[in-house]
Amino acid sequence: MRRFSVGLLVFGLCLAAWGAFAEEVPPKPAKLVVSTWGFNLDLIRKNIAEPFQERYGIEIVYDLGNNAARLARLVANKDNPVVDVVHFTRAYAYRAIQEGLLQPYNPDNIPALAEIYEWARDPLGGNYAVGYAVQHLALAYRPDRISPPVTSWKDFWRDDVAGYITLPDMNTTYGPAVLIMCARAWGGSEENLEPGWEKLAELMPRLTTIYRRSSEAITLFQQEEVWLAPIPSFAWGRLEAAAAAAGFPVEQVIPVEGLVGELSVVAVVKGTPNAYWAEKYIDFILSREVQTAQALDLVDSPVNMNVELPPEIGAKLTYGKEIIDALIFFDQAFIAQHLDEWIARWNEIRTQ
Amino acid sequence: MLATRKAFILSAPALVVLVAFFVVPLALTLVESLRDGGGWTLERYASVLSQRSFRVALVRSLKLGALVTGIAALVGYPAAYAISKLERGKRTLLMSLIILPLMTNPVARTYAWFVVMGRHGIINRGLLALGLAERPIKILYTEGAIAVGLLQLFLPLMLLSLVSALENVPAELEEAARSLGANGFRAFRRVVLPLSADGLVIGGTLVFTGSITAYVTPAILGGTRVLMLSTLLYQKAMTLMDWEGATVVAVVMLLLAVGLNALLRRLRPREAM
Repeated sequence: MRRFSVGLLVFGLCLAAWGAFAEEVPPKPAKLVVSTWGFNLDLIRKNIAEPFQERYGIEIVYDLGNNAARLARLVANKDNPVVDVVHFTRAYAYRAIQEGLLQPYNPDNIPALAEIYEWARDPLGGNYAVGYAVQHLALAYRPDRISPPVTSWKDFWRDDVAGYITLPDMNTTYGPAVLIMCARAWGGSEENLEPGWEKLAELMPRLTTIYRRSSEAITLFQQEEVWLAPIPSFAWGRLEAAAAAAGFPVEQVIPVEGLVGELSVVAVVKGTPNAYWAEKYIDFILSREVQTAQALDLVDSPVNMNVELPPEIGAKLTYGKEIIDALIFFDQAFIAQHLDEWIARWNEIRTQ
Repeated sequence: MLATRKAFILSAPALVVLVAFFVVPLALTLVESLRDGGGWTLERYASVLSQRSFRVALVRSLKLGALVTGIAALVGYPAAYAISKLERGKRTLLMSLIILPLMTNPVARTYAWFVVMGRHGIINRGLLALGLAERPIKILYTEGAIAVGLLQLFLPLMLLSLVSALENVPAELEEAARSLGANGFRAFRRVVLPLSADGLVIGGTLVFTGSITAYVTPAILGGTRVLMLSTLLYQKAMTLMDWEGATVVAVVMLLLAVGLNALLRRLRPREAM
């Protein structure tokens, strides 16, 4: 009997050892190629690349460029990928999925998924991408010029702001969201955008201009050509600084219709031999430590629910219960399906 | 024969560059705009020409081009006439002053207009101070702003063409006309103007084609809504990725430039030459 149990024990140990062997992690590459924008690169190296190398002994090499350029490079290298993991906006990640450039991640290798908001875990479906940073479309306005204060998207149609407003172009990240919010504000919905189109056509002659880059919106505020505009939250800090320098106040409000949310996502490139380490990288950037460090440096707003920030930092980010609860994420597949048609219609009504 | 060969050899390098980098791409653009898979089609032209945004930009380009060319000629001619009558030293000095603005960076030069035309710019402050306006008026991002910017940009080209044409009109001819009984206006209209018509044609072509093809000025002073053909072309190619539409706009712009040149040449009063 004893002999039997000893035998069993030995057998069990062998099994455990074999199991451990089988589960041994794939070989470490010397480097992991990460495709990203390149904003705040110094801070990103400090907060991500250096600690990642310290923990895993893998060097992170960056492939930098805007969404379109990096997507084009992924397409060009489709059969022989040189990038392991890629950062995109949702719109471009969606296009990359359509082009067959991404592969689903293995959630077992990314335990930090349990710590992030539910809406960030799989925002495009099919486990293709993880949201690692959240933004919102702020309604920024000049309280010294506009009274009573702005509370709604409908305030763009007020007579006292006519000629002092701007909107983002339809083919920018937030263009489609503006259309949908206007439709919602005037009694429509995603399914019924007509009220939005009618009201936007009415609004066009009242716009100072249409902006394409957030820096243009900031300049328009600075030159006092604009008092009210939807601007991406990542530009809020620069707008605040510009306003302070020019000596006028700016405020942002959560409109009664809700706050348009957007995500920066990260995904594993299809065909990479380093998928496991790409997933470890994703797990790493979702961790409380990295998310906190990025937030404290004002690089990205956290999706990790355990991140706690001092109020003066939180106020500059997409952070805090009030903002997070107000976030609305529009369906990227729906937008992608209609975008060409929307751009064409937008170009017809915008023409002055 | 020898002279022809020599001329050919001497112009060969320039010819190669022109053919390789101008004629060939131009021909490819033209062909591309008419190709559809294997066959030929005018469908793209029909589709672009039916867009309201295109028609508005076309009309605006023609209107602003004509306006700027007309003002440049009216403002430029008397100035060029006066300059051509000056002695050599003063003339050279004035000519270099005219060229000076052409040497500043177009982006910097155009942004300088923000200081003048902005809501809190010099013009608006003046209007408010004089009580001519109750609140600042919108000047930037309008057709007027583009016209002013283009005029500043291209007036020197008109002046240069006119001065060099007027320099070549012998002063004695005008004197002869006067001594034969023509009054000042008649001498100008029948003698000086026909002889300097080449300068007007060249200057007009430069200003008009410059105005309808300029990009930086309409992009900055007109913004993204007051589109001209050049800014529409950029939008189609660079932000909408609509290469076919962009090709059509490019061909239309080219035809406009060539057409205007032909028209102005025809308008030149030949009987006086």
